[in-house]
Amino acid sequence: MDPFQTLGIEPAFELDSKDLEQRHRELSRALHPDRHVGKTPGERRHALGRAIEVNDAYRIVKDPVRRAEALLARLGLSVEEGAEPKAAPEFLMEVMEQRELLSEARAKRDRAGLERLRATIEAQQADALGRLARAFAATTPDSAALLGALGELRYFARFLEEAGAIEDELL
Amino acid sequence: MVLLDIFDPKAPPRAIGIDLGTTHSIVAAMRDERPMALVTCDGTALLPSVVYYGDHGNVVVGQAARGFSARAPERTIASVKRFMGRGAADEQTKKLGTYRFADAAADERVVHFDVGSRVVTPVEVSAEILRSLAQSARDHLGAVGGAVITVPAYFDDAQRQATKDAAKLAGLTVLRLLNEPTAAALAYGLDKKQNGTFAVYDLGGGTFDITLLTLDDGIFQVRSTGGDSALGGDDMDRVIAEEMLAAMGCATEASRTPEVVSVVLDAARQAKHALTDALVAEVELPKLGGGHVMYRLERAHFEDAIAPLVERTGRAARRALRDAGLAPTDVDGVILVGGSTRVPRVRAYVRELFGQEPLADIDPDLVVAYGAAVQAELLASESDEVLLLDVLPLSLGVETMGGGVDKILPRNTTIPAGAKSVFTTYADDQTGFVIHVVQGERELASDCRSLARFVLSGIPPMPAGMARLEVEFFVDENNLLQVEARELTTGLTQHVEVQPSYGLTDEQVEAMLIDALDHGEADLEARRLADARVEAERILLATRKGLATDADLLEPEEAARIERAMSALGEAIETATKPARLQLCLDELDDATHRFAGQRMNRAIAAAIAGRNLMDVEKTVEHAAGVDAHLLAHGHPVEEESR
Repeated sequence: MDPFQTLGIEPAFELDSKDLEQRHRELSRALHPDRHVGKTPGERRHALGRAIEVNDAYRIVKDPVRRAEALLARLGLSVEEGAEPKAAPEFLMEVMEQRELLSEARAKRDRAGLERLRATIEAQQADALGRLARAFAATTPDSAALLGALGELRYFARFLEEAGAIEDELL
Repeated sequence: MVLLDIFDPKAPPRAIGIDLGTTHSIVAAMRDERPMALVTCDGTALLPSVVYYGDHGNVVVGQAARGFSARAPERTIASVKRFMGRGAADEQTKKLGTYRFADAAADERVVHFDVGSRVVTPVEVSAEILRSLAQSARDHLGAVGGAVITVPAYFDDAQRQATKDAAKLAGLTVLRLLNEPTAAALAYGLDKKQNGTFAVYDLGGGTFDITLLTLDDGIFQVRSTGGDSALGGDDMDRVIAEEMLAAMGCATEASRTPEVVSVVLDAARQAKHALTDALVAEVELPKLGGGHVMYRLERAHFEDAIAPLVERTGRAARRALRDAGLAPTDVDGVILVGGSTRVPRVRAYVRELFGQEPLADIDPDLVVAYGAAVQAELLASESDEVLLLDVLPLSLGVETMGGGVDKILPRNTTIPAGAKSVFTTYADDQTGFVIHVVQGERELASDCRSLARFVLSGIPPMPAGMARLEVEFFVDENNLLQVEARELTTGLTQHVEVQPSYGLTDEQVEAMLIDALDHGEADLEARRLADARVEAERILLATRKGLATDADLLEPEEAARIERAMSALGEAIETATKPARLQLCLDELDDATHRFAGQRMNRAIAAAIAGRNLMDVEKTVEHAAGVDAHLLAHGHPVEEESR
């Protein structure tokens, strides 16, 4: 399933989140089960199936990592994790340091430290997003650059998710 | 705004909204485009959620039942909502209370109360409350159609299912299980006609919910929700009750008889209510061994004692803000819901948390029922002015081999939602497969809420790892889980046997339904036939409506087959004596209209997108092409006129 097609939007990495939200709402207005209360069971089934499809597509397109994967799939590139080229040694070193800082913050219940770490990662995430967007915008996309930036983004997303779980513990 | 009397015997069935609360329940309906709470059998809108079971099978609900609680505490069930969808070994059952539990060994999945004359489940107790409310509604409105019943946003699947079962048992058609905070927002939103981002802080008798949502031209979109389905005003009462018991000299378990606990919980509640306006409350308590003791409670002390409870709400609120990607300053208004938000300390805490004065201009006890009545009317009238887009409150996952959790749908996903997972066999010639579905945020499956075990059977014998089982999980608009499974190599749809981890099976609900009716099975059969007739007529009407607008989508043979199916159904409505015959005709009509229904949906999607073309022509020409391509890719021809 191509989420861009499901939503009826132009496949692109950079998109206006307001437009995306607007489209999701238009389709929800047409498809949400509440709009089909009085219909036949068949119509309700179809509406439910389509509404689920639209919500799923919306979730994919909203998430930069999954949006990039969907675009790469359109380009015929493998999007499996691990398909990306090996990360630079400097990046791996940094990753290890950050992970250490994260477990330290957790052990010390250091919310301020966690906050700082989150800000650092978010800045790096923004940078990787920019690189990915530029790579997608290129006339002939460079698959190594695309997959490299995607690999980093995946890492940052997971890191932030873990940081979030730790924040939950400390809240 | 309490509705007194508008009885009209010829009135058409009216949809109602029900707030089935921990301490109080309320039924409301629309009148002159405004929600109104209906007076219950107690003469007020608030019906205490208390049920008394007498010796001779008589059941009393509401204020009168509460009157029995001091004399017959074990026969009087209060706060039953805490037990909905919970197992006998659940933490909730161990909190201070007057309940006497029946031997749980028989069925660990459901709590059983021993009320002397019989044993009842939380679903049956809740059904009594719903029955009483439905009767009050009938007294006011004449006939009652479907009902929207509210549930805490943070209720899990088992708790929602239990609520739905209770409604079924009470003979109510559930139009929707609606999240309480969303209901409150609906009541406020329609009142204020204001767009923006809102937080709903809902602290009730037994549950806490925090919901963040945006309101934009009739669309209420929930951004995130969080909470604690075991935190509320009852817990404040318990904190005070413990101190009172100590003052009375009731230190030992043995001295805490149900009669004593009942008196103390009541006194604690009264003291709490008094402290809303007063700075000191005094209550007289019986002393162990005779005599009385005067118990004095200062507001400052009360506030210190409940501080840990209040702070727990902050944790959930901060997490919900983070999940929504919002800062407290992004929130345009904070709506207070639930009687416990009357506690001054709670109000002050919310003010600090969001840095603004919270809104409480609609009675926090009634606002949820108002919202439910609004939604009931919207659904019954098929209005398209307002749409609620709600979310899954807790992540859904499947237990992995190591006891971990493979998340299939994360919390705060917009519903309806679905996800597919592929599983494989781990032994040669394995023909069955157990899938354990859990709900929650913890890493280990054993720490999450167990929802159900699905047995996939009838897998053809194959070497290990060869079978490919695709399991599809759906969360519908009621936030209820449904499962379908397919074996991919053979294409066989697998039989899915649902065994809920908590709550009742369909058969148990059925048996209760038969018990509840005077003539059991015969009555149930008659009721089913009547229901099936109504449903068949509704479907005939809906089909005709569809044909009237979109007949051009039909192939000639298709049209003829639909005609035949319709006339067969029309005849069955007149003559059928068994619901099964109606069902057969309904199935044929469903099959005959399957393609047509899909085509109509395609047209609706195209129209939804085309609606924007008018405003933004250049951009959406490409968009429309995208959808056309999608429809073509899915094997549906595109209709010219829908572009």
